[in-house]
Amino acid sequence: MKRPAVLLALGLLILTAVLLLYRIIGLGYPVLPASTGQAFHFKFDGHIKSDGGDTTLSVALPSERPGLIISEEYFGSGSLSFNLFRKESGRYGVWIGQTGRDGEIVSYRAMILMRSPGTAKPKSPVLEKYPPLTNKDEQTAAEKITERLKLLPLPERIETILKLMEDSGSRPPELTFFKFMEGRYSQSTLLLTLFRAALIPARVVDGVRLTEGIVTKPLTWIEAWNGQTWEGLSIDGKETLKDQATLLALTVDGTPVVHVAGGKINDTRWDINRQIVGQWRHNYEHISRSERFLDRWSLFRLPTEFQQTFRILLLVPIGALLICILRNIIGFPTFGIFMPVLMALSFRNTGLIYGLSIFAGVILVGYAARRFLDRLRLLLVPRMSVLLTLVIVCFTLLALFGNKFGLRQVMAVGLLPFVILVMTIERFFVVVEEHGIRTALQTSAGSAAVAFITYLIISSETLQLTFFIYPELLLSIGALQILIGRYTGYRLSELFRFREFRDPS
Amino acid sequence: MIGQAFQQLKEAGVLGINNRNAEYIMRYNPRSLYPLVDNKVLTKRLAKQYGIPTPVLFHVIENYGSMKNLKTMLEDIKEFVVKPASGSGGSGIILIAERTRNVFLTQSKKVVTLEYLSYHISDILSGIFSLQGHEDHAIIESLIHPDQVFSAVTYQGVPDVRIIVYRGVPVMAMVRLPTKDSDGKANLHRGAIGAGIELGTGQTITAVHKSKIVTHHPDTGNPVSGLQVPHWDTMLSIATLATDMTGLGYIGVDIVIDRDRGPVLLELNARPGLAIQMANKSGLLKRLEDVDAAPDGIFTTPEKRIAWAKENL
Ligand SMILES: Nc1ncnc2c1ncn2[C@@H]1O[C@H](COP(=O)(O)OP(=O)(O)O)[C@@H](O)[C@H]1O
Ligand SMILES: [Mg+2]
Repeated sequence: MKRPAVLLALGLLILTAVLLLYRIIGLGYPVLPASTGQAFHFKFDGHIKSDGGDTTLSVALPSERPGLIISEEYFGSGSLSFNLFRKESGRYGVWIGQTGRDGEIVSYRAMILMRSPGTAKPKSPVLEKYPPLTNKDEQTAAEKITERLKLLPLPERIETILKLMEDSGSRPPELTFFKFMEGRYSQSTLLLTLFRAALIPARVVDGVRLTEGIVTKPLTWIEAWNGQTWEGLSIDGKETLKDQATLLALTVDGTPVVHVAGGKINDTRWDINRQIVGQWRHNYEHISRSERFLDRWSLFRLPTEFQQTFRILLLVPIGALLICILRNIIGFPTFGIFMPVLMALSFRNTGLIYGLSIFAGVILVGYAARRFLDRLRLLLVPRMSVLLTLVIVCFTLLALFGNKFGLRQVMAVGLLPFVILVMTIERFFVVVEEHGIRTALQTSAGSAAVAFITYLIISSETLQLTFFIYPELLLSIGALQILIGRYTGYRLSELFRFREFRDPS
Repeated sequence: MIGQAFQQLKEAGVLGINNRNAEYIMRYNPRSLYPLVDNKVLTKRLAKQYGIPTPVLFHVIENYGSMKNLKTMLEDIKEFVVKPASGSGGSGIILIAERTRNVFLTQSKKVVTLEYLSYHISDILSGIFSLQGHEDHAIIESLIHPDQVFSAVTYQGVPDVRIIVYRGVPVMAMVRLPTKDSDGKANLHRGAIGAGIELGTGQTITAVHKSKIVTHHPDTGNPVSGLQVPHWDTMLSIATLATDMTGLGYIGVDIVIDRDRGPVLLELNARPGLAIQMANKSGLLKRLEDVDAAPDGIFTTPEKRIAWAKENL
């Protein structure tokens, strides 16, 4: 009897886990959606002055890649015309025109959002040409030392080359390469030549460091392909860069980040600021760009005006779960099955304190009215209708008085579930009649408590975000509800009710 | 700690409400059969087919229109009971014990008029007392005069015997004795006493009052244990037949003893409460499991089932 339900619940839990894992590992979603993501405000400014004729300024800009999103871009061009070019190696902003005598300020602003790139891998690069060398012997010498290395796997090849670069003492003296090269070429050319000879794709990268601060020159480093990713190395090849994640590449093909023709640029500066962006924005920017299946079916794709509703709606089942627990495991009664959940929803309009007061007030006034109506001996449905009218009249009066005395909050009743409240009055009356005022008050307190907790749950930004990003969590809520539905054990309240059976006597 | 407490209840064979609902009510009581017990008119009709006595049905009032004739309907009935066909928990029941032409006296000596009665009946019709608030019918039936046996331990009202029948086997029984607290009503949660009955002999054993074990009636001061329930065997056969009659596998049968007619079936209940366990100081679950564990073919006739229950429970 129990098996199918338990299996179904188990299935739902597993499905949730699979979807969660897929989103976290496959799509790179944050494990804790509410943990603060990295966001940077990127600013570039420069002062450009023409030599007389037209000036062309080309500036490498950050580009999107897995785990990195660029939004809110803005270009300031003064009197120059501006164009954005997209090339294989990156994006370039190009300003063209003639500046005035005092030059022009050009600027670029963008918001950069970062997070784990998920399983998306950079694609394998192709081997580039040798860096420009003056004669063939140099290339031959390089090939000679790297001869044996070609048998090693890529990471070890890189490591060995770095060791050669770092420690001149360990080099076999017969190697002529360094004798030829040192002093005549830059360290980076040496390094690139060796990498090329060892068939390791490598490149010179210019960019900036994503840490709070201002720099006037871009940073240059070298990246070598280790078969999986690009490994960052300092320009002299003396060390590997451990904080590569904080580096933002601007050009990767050795071209300069800033290039001017027909003019001069001064005062270039890159200004990086850490930003606190709303969690919603952060996730929205990521998900609404992705073409992965689950991302295309994400709730973030709903029109924003409906998203608000779903944020709350997705949490309502937790309230219901709470009631399941309260009733079937603890054994604490509430008025009506989902009345507390509806109350909690209405608290969103009224606020908690006023909401709870309404609840108490309505029950009190309603009970008095109900006692009086009892004498009139009205039939059920008309009697409830009279109560409903009465309650609404009371609220209207309250709102009018509130307005007079400037109490805004008493007007904000929203669409409180008045009908449900009226039914609660009826239930309260019956419980008082049949079980006494104590039980009735207990039940009211229980209902208010559940409404309160449910309100806290549905108001939690963190939970809203979590369920919005991972709506599959609802499946596991359903699973828990199913499990409670098949919980045939004792309720906690029964420990008390049947306490006679627990004494050894 | 809690786990240990649960274990103790389990060892005592106590039936919890979740277990009752999921494993017994949901499994053995198909929803479609509920009307047979929730509607007392249908119950009466069925009982008649099976030769089980019920309070004599004088009238069923089904709509407001027929209330015009209330006066003529009641013309030659001296004592009667007005109750909702689908009521529960004793609400909406008026017991009329005496009358003159236009004035009626309830059993608790309250004077009511014909007008009051017709108001009350229209309340019933509107569904105030019915389980789901649906429109209801009103029943006018004969008044039961309780047998004298329990008079020493009853404060007003009519005591009734509740027997739980599982798959046609009576498994547990108690007699509910009204007290001053319970206002003459035989509902335990209103403060009536519940005295467990030994199935084999029909004698009361222990009793509970407001979930405490008691030995004497709080109002009359007489002992409540060791009383012999009269017509015990007849009661067991009425109870046993209730399963054949309704098809419900887990059912509470309420029987009252009329001074003149003997045991009379008052009502059937598809969701009988669990307090009977306290009255008997014995767990229901254990007995239900005993029934399930009994060898096949042993429960072929009602007689065999009763005999088995008397012997084994
Ligand atoms: N015909 C009757 N004569 C005397 N008392 C009655 C009669 N019908 C009901 N009662 C009293 O009312 C109580 C509840 O009646 P019952 O038919 O069981 O209705 P309910 O479904 O509301 O429990 C009984 O326990 C008994 O005390
Ligand atoms: Mg009853």
